[in-house]
Amino acid sequence: MKKIVRIDMSDLSVKTEPLPEKWARYGGRALTDAIVFSEVPPSADPLGPENKLVFAPGILGGTTAPNGGRLSAGAKSPLTGGIKESNSGGQAAHALAKLGIAALVIEGAPADKDARYLIKIAPDGSVEIKRVDEWAGAGNYAVADGIKQTMGDVKRYATISIGPAGEMGMKMAGIAVSDPDGYPNRFLGRGGLGAVMGSKGVKAIVLVDEGLPTIEHADRDAFNAAVKKFAAALREHAVTGQGLPTYGTNVLANIINEAGGYPTRNFSSGRFELVENISGERQREVTLERGGNVKHGCHTGCVIQCSRYWVDKDGTYITKGPEYESMWSLGADCGIGDIDDVAALDRACGDIGIDTIETGVMLGVYMDSGRLAFGDGKGALRLLEEEVRKGTDLGRVLGDGAEATGTAFGVKRIPVVKHQGLPAYDPRPIQGIGVTYATSPMGADHTAGYSITANVLNVGGTVDPLKPDGQAELSKGLQIATGMLDSMGLCIFVAFAVLDIPEAFDAIFEMATAHTGQTWDADALMELGKETLAMERLYNEAVGFKPEDDRLPRFFYEEKLPPHDAVFSVSDADLDSVFDFVPETAAKMGISKPGA
Amino acid sequence: MRIELALFASLRRFLPTGEAGHERTIDLPDGTTVGQVIATLGLPDEPRVVFVNGRHAPDDFVLHDGDRLAVFPPVAGG
Repeated sequence: MKKIVRIDMSDLSVKTEPLPEKWARYGGRALTDAIVFSEVPPSADPLGPENKLVFAPGILGGTTAPNGGRLSAGAKSPLTGGIKESNSGGQAAHALAKLGIAALVIEGAPADKDARYLIKIAPDGSVEIKRVDEWAGAGNYAVADGIKQTMGDVKRYATISIGPAGEMGMKMAGIAVSDPDGYPNRFLGRGGLGAVMGSKGVKAIVLVDEGLPTIEHADRDAFNAAVKKFAAALREHAVTGQGLPTYGTNVLANIINEAGGYPTRNFSSGRFELVENISGERQREVTLERGGNVKHGCHTGCVIQCSRYWVDKDGTYITKGPEYESMWSLGADCGIGDIDDVAALDRACGDIGIDTIETGVMLGVYMDSGRLAFGDGKGALRLLEEEVRKGTDLGRVLGDGAEATGTAFGVKRIPVVKHQGLPAYDPRPIQGIGVTYATSPMGADHTAGYSITANVLNVGGTVDPLKPDGQAELSKGLQIATGMLDSMGLCIFVAFAVLDIPEAFDAIFEMATAHTGQTWDADALMELGKETLAMERLYNEAVGFKPEDDRLPRFFYEEKLPPHDAVFSVSDADLDSVFDFVPETAAKMGISKPGA
Repeated sequence: MRIELALFASLRRFLPTGEAGHERTIDLPDGTTVGQVIATLGLPDEPRVVFVNGRHAPDDFVLHDGDRLAVFPPVAGG
């Protein structure tokens, strides 16, 4: 029986309850959404005791489903003010699932603001909550080392931790999750969830899954057959079988630059003249020269293997990746073309515990104010280490992200939607992703509906990226599918194969059916995606978001972006059509507004 | 006519010999199409993403002097 474990940080009490029947078909994003929707008042202070921080593995978490170990974290976001699901790789989702935990809910807040706690869940399910005040201000890497020293001979465990930014309540603080080698380098990056964890006095969580048996399936043979089918599709597709494992996510740099959609120097150009220096091809060459690792999974059971480790000239580990988004945000968006400078910034973000996307967009905005030159990688690193990490007055402003920084320093071009910084694709020459940025309940988020597929990559069909036609429909379909994948606990990169190979899509509901014993089919998968989005939209409506919030900043409609001189031209009516299914879905679910 | 040719990721090895990197300036007869360039280079017969001047272009696209032709294997990420 799957359970929900609730830890109330107000009195350090622990409650365990069975997963309610009404949520029996939920996992991952659907389950974090359901708990936030039902239990966190829309009026709650995101950093107050009413907010709840929920960690949930997907429906397939803990199994051998290929790429099925993604973790969802949910809460009311201090950055967007709306509901948030942030998603990460790493080992924690599998560990939670093996512990039988469908959701770990951190509630309340300690009266003593100086208290720091380490929560440890043992293989028998017992929960230990220990003061670790001496870890106050420690970076994620020091916390990982500190945890290791307390573990003795225990080898199998996963960690979830925050750096100093989360403790200080900064709105761009993320949560680090350990990878298979124990590095705290996978991130629940977006939306400031690190600040929510910090507000609850939780510095780190350790999930010990050593010695636990493999998870049981309703029909083991059928499950294994579906796994085989799914893995074969992932290996067969050129993107998931070759492109991603060889070059990593940053293989995108050159193609997005070629399409004229690689946001450069705070979204003032769509091409970066130094892209080659920070491209996936260059990254692979340098990593191989230095003896770094160019192919591994971010969690057990990954068959795509797009992760890699960046090492310095002496071969010492610096950080993972950096991934495409981070190489862009801390590179091109800041005009920085030195790959080691970008890696140093990525490492600083990981240790301080801040979202690399929001940090890069913030730095680009700050540079646009004229206070730091575009391209000054060393200056950017100094800002992160001396100001943000130490929480100086300037650091506090920067730590609240791109919008806070742009507002404080009078910058005209602030690329945010629902207060969250835009990722690595300019929405003017790639209009489909603009629809996702504008309408996603998450705020500007590329993963919410990755229209780059059909707009640029010719995966899952083709839609002309420079024209408004068909973009709303494209984004809508992808947002629904993503809500489903995030709830299954599947990596969204499986979508590249799923969009082109019908058997891969079938394998998802076959795995879900064989694992849970419930009946899943194509329609049920799509309903799950719709239900996820319906809860998110209704929550945000109750918070006060209106159709006007589903728009891009004005400059995307007015400033022409070179080289195509494109402006965003999808109509408001098209944007407002994306969530037209919500009333019908909500009626079927029997929900209308947040609450139990 | 003269065009700029760029090949990326696993396709770099099909560049005409010469300096390193991923770009070349090449001379072509007037009226050459994208498909003819690809055939001359001997690119493998698999899905690819082709841009001329930053816009998707089909194989029968006729190139002009000063164009930039960029070819990618299937890639994605994010």
